[in-house]
Amino acid sequence: MWRFLLLQAARLALGLVGAVLLAACVAALAAEGAQSGAGAYFSALLAQLNAFAHLDFGTSIISGIPALGELGLRLPVTLELVGLGAIVALVLGGPLGILLGTERPLRAAAPLLQIVAATPVFVASLALLWLAANVLHWPDMTFPVFADRGDLDSTVRVLALPVLTVGAAGAAAIQLALRRATAEAMDEPYRRGLRLMGLSTLEINRVYLLPQVLTGLCRSFGDIALALFAAAAVAEWVFGWPGAAVLFLKSVALHDWHVAALVLFVFAAIKFLADFAGELGAEALSARSAAT
Amino acid sequence: MSAIGIVSMRSLPRLRAAIRAFGFAGLALIAVAVGLSDVIARAPADATGIGPVLAPPSSQFLLGTDALGRDVLSETLHALAVTLIHAGLATAITLAAGSLFGFIAARLPWKSGVVVRWFAGILGAVPALLLAILFVGIATRDYAAIAAGLAAAPLAFSRTYDRARALSVSRHAEFARATGIQGATLMRRDLAYEFRDTFLTIAARALAAVTITLSTMSFLGFGAVPPHRDLGLMIAAARASYLEAWWVAAFPALALLLLILFARLAAALDEGERP
Repeated sequence: MWRFLLLQAARLALGLVGAVLLAACVAALAAEGAQSGAGAYFSALLAQLNAFAHLDFGTSIISGIPALGELGLRLPVTLELVGLGAIVALVLGGPLGILLGTERPLRAAAPLLQIVAATPVFVASLALLWLAANVLHWPDMTFPVFADRGDLDSTVRVLALPVLTVGAAGAAAIQLALRRATAEAMDEPYRRGLRLMGLSTLEINRVYLLPQVLTGLCRSFGDIALALFAAAAVAEWVFGWPGAAVLFLKSVALHDWHVAALVLFVFAAIKFLADFAGELGAEALSARSAAT
Repeated sequence: MSAIGIVSMRSLPRLRAAIRAFGFAGLALIAVAVGLSDVIARAPADATGIGPVLAPPSSQFLLGTDALGRDVLSETLHALAVTLIHAGLATAITLAAGSLFGFIAARLPWKSGVVVRWFAGILGAVPALLLAILFVGIATRDYAAIAAGLAAAPLAFSRTYDRARALSVSRHAEFARATGIQGATLMRRDLAYEFRDTFLTIAARALAAVTITLSTMSFLGFGAVPPHRDLGLMIAAARASYLEAWWVAAFPALALLLLILFARLAAALDEGERP
């Protein structure tokens, strides 16, 4: 167990080092004359790495405030969107994945799922906006008054569409992870043996199948996080949410490289942390399952 | 296992092959439509005032007209052509910088491929869309197709690298080395067999991935440059009027969805699987 833990910690550390390097490569573009030649760029890169080592992440050229402060204002908005989207993804994708993995006749729904999976996030968000405007008769939700969450109704209206958009993208990743794990576990030969020993299907599923399925889900944490953040970037743009992903788009458009670098670092670090947590969770579940 | 179960297990590969064939047929149909777009379309690309403003679908304008009186059918066909051309270029880049380079990197001496694999893993930790937008920010929007291809490359690289590593330590590789076959010869042989069997699948997978990235980039304003509108840019332009005139966004969106769907089917991707 210790060896596994050390290995995962080393992988996380290597990933984070790489993310710092990537961020430094981007932030170095902000240095004067960095784009004039390879030599100038590499000296800017070294200077940037040195600045990062002293926790100096530079200043935004747009707002004039430190990049870290700028991100501090925007990241909670993205995390709220991604967090709520993850809940929706679990609620939608969880049962769907298990049902599709266990109930073979439900595989007839596969073509519909393929169509949903082929729909780009921006198309899905525009379709949701159209439905909200023309079916639910909501007012224009593209630029909601973000802070206007006075009552439950307005809160639901502000949150529903972007959260559904992000949640649907995450649900696709979750159902796939669960479906594959469930289908694999359903074909395990031990199920027949346990049934012959007199255990009920419910007992087998609760004690043996569930940990195996959850292990599969844990191993996909990184991919799920990636899907959620990619969808958040589009949802923030379409629904006018002032989050970190939109901050990244604006920073790149205006060549505000310090801010863009910091956002990239945070997104990559979250992916590596999700991978790390997922591997630990999967290992803990496997160990518990083996002990049972 | 029940008789039905055995039958369904046996028919599964045949069903998958049929779905893949359907996907390729769909892509071929789209390619033909794109090839004939100048003939089928009643108006040249970006021609305004062809009909009344925001006219709904009718016998005169099959898919209606947009806010500038452009024929939506003609515009969709032209935009589909631009999307497919850009996506084709991006796919070629993904195949070269991702799949082919991944295969070669797995056989690089002194395990130097491990460093490249690590760097690909770092790039793969950032959503491909944001990576592509970053590349466009560093260069210009004219290079959007190259940026989308490069952004999809890390994932393709990692997949191919891992498979090639497994191949390079397999039994057949051990036997080959023991009988004195050179590493370069073995790599050429593995490369030929690997890509002969999987090239079309890998290409279709890359096509699905880069089409999503490219159209989203254009939608966000980092992709195609007017007047060469692709489907993403066309949908972005339709945002101003689509709540009242659904057809200005629905038909380009449908064309985009079909292109991605056929590419996904041709690549035999699982439902919900990341291309």
